[in-house]
Amino acid sequence: MNTISQIALTVVMFGSLFSVLTLSLNLQYARGGMINFGTVAYFATGAYAYAIVTQEPPHGLDQYLVGLDMPWWAGFIAAGLAAMAFAILTGWPTLRLRGEYLALTTFAFAEMLNSLLVNERGIGNGTVGLANVERPDANILGLSENVVYALAAFLLMLATAYAFRRLLASPYGRAVDAIRDDEVAAQAIGKNIARLRFQVFVISSMPIGFAGALYAMITTLVNPELFTAEVTFFVWIALVLGGERTILGAIIGTMALVGFQEAIRAIPFESVRAAEIAASAEDIVTGILFIVILRWQPFSALARRRQAA
Amino acid sequence: MTLLAQYALTGVVTGCFLILATIGFSLTRQVEGFLNIAHAELLGVSAFITWGLNAGAGWPIVPAAIVAIVATAFIGLFIGRVVYDPIRRLGPAVVLISSVGVAYVIAGLMHAIIGTGIRTLDVPLATTFKFFGLRITNYQMIVVGLAALTGISLALFLNRTRTGLAIRAMSTNPELAASRGIDVRQTSRATWLLSSGLAGLAGVMLALIATLSTDIAFHQILQILAVAILAGLGSLYSVIVAGLIVGIAMDVSVFWIPAGYRPLIAFAVVIIALVVRPEGLSMKSSS
Repeated sequence: MNTISQIALTVVMFGSLFSVLTLSLNLQYARGGMINFGTVAYFATGAYAYAIVTQEPPHGLDQYLVGLDMPWWAGFIAAGLAAMAFAILTGWPTLRLRGEYLALTTFAFAEMLNSLLVNERGIGNGTVGLANVERPDANILGLSENVVYALAAFLLMLATAYAFRRLLASPYGRAVDAIRDDEVAAQAIGKNIARLRFQVFVISSMPIGFAGALYAMITTLVNPELFTAEVTFFVWIALVLGGERTILGAIIGTMALVGFQEAIRAIPFESVRAAEIAASAEDIVTGILFIVILRWQPFSALARRRQAA
Repeated sequence: MTLLAQYALTGVVTGCFLILATIGFSLTRQVEGFLNIAHAELLGVSAFITWGLNAGAGWPIVPAAIVAIVATAFIGLFIGRVVYDPIRRLGPAVVLISSVGVAYVIAGLMHAIIGTGIRTLDVPLATTFKFFGLRITNYQMIVVGLAALTGISLALFLNRTRTGLAIRAMSTNPELAASRGIDVRQTSRATWLLSSGLAGLAGVMLALIATLSTDIAFHQILQILAVAILAGLGSLYSVIVAGLIVGIAMDVSVFWIPAGYRPLIAFAVVIIALVVRPEGLSMKSSS
């Protein structure tokens, strides 16, 4: 029983955390029409920004150059701003590219960032990463740490969902939708397409940065291994799983995927080889799910039926 | 100076490998109209079939390689027919994302069957030759030779044979090709066989010049993407130029900056190219 509640807590914690990414991606792709295959880069930027801002100045064997030793909330804000700054940096030259070119360029940027984090030890100790990342003391609330962080992730998710919902229900959101549906028509009635797309891209990367900071708090470690293209694919799979265009779908898809992974991880294994095979099986099943869902799109079919009724 | 020339020469070898790896990818992009992320996994499949027959079953390298290439071609055809054909109508973005799923499945299967660790083929050690103070191994020469041979025979195939012309017609304008009586399904099948077979060939080359591990394919897709974008997704001949540019740029860069940045150079080239000239080297619109 205890393990089951433990797993449930983990699912809520990481499910909510990654839901923030899925929601942002949903805004960029389903509403803004931009394929961002470098989601992990903004996540990593947030996590590293948080770690660097809160980390003590380097000493001993540390190779990183900057540690500001500021309180956690400063790091949290810095994480959101850093992700936005990175979005401005990468969005400005690339957003005029279309469809798959944009997908590839954002992917390239994410790989470059990962490579920089590995090679430039001055940023965060290279492959070693920054350990013992500072986090707010959870005991003040009288709850166990995991519960507090699960709650924090859940709140962040709700806040993101609420903000995006408000944004999209506004006239601004309708302009965004108009661009996705018909660029020429939107342009004809005086909407600046390039600027709107750029704004959506930058705005939606801010929650990703916050999620990165929270992730750093939960794991208390940042290193380049945690921020590979697999995170990007994971979020894309979650988005596809939940069916695009709905906020609830994005959240459910992410939760289901995290739950599935945690369930496999919870199975005890006798040997290393068995664990290895299980890890491969996880990949295979994930891949097949991906293909099957895209082929038949059961969830979006369901949503359509509900709308029609 | 010799050192720089040596890096450039190694870059040419890398470039030739990249050409072999990318041509199939670009062919798929042209005819089938989407980016097949799983293409690199086929390189891995071919490399490990070669390894299994050669080091495992004790076959000589040449028949092992031939069987691997043919098998990979048919695996590619099978995946194309079963997975991609039914979802083509949903648009290139959906197919692109599906191919990530395919890559996951292939990678997972390889991992489950072969396991982690580093493998090598059972072939004689490379012999090094020296020309004007520059070193090149016999296996590297094979890569260069095969890349040249493949380029020439592919050009002949696409320009002289019925199937080749049909493939080119399909890639330029599918509707018009169909209305002029080209069998679209058969041409699509031929393309899958050809592009997957080329992936198989590149996989064998990879097995020859590199050490094998199951995550090898993922590192290749990054470079394949780089070459393909630089070439512009609309052209095959510019793949040759782009492959050489990326290969030489990556290896020569080691002369000035740390080797850890070698993969990054490929993307730096690509980003610069995309920002300066969004349609790639070929100057041809590909949408």
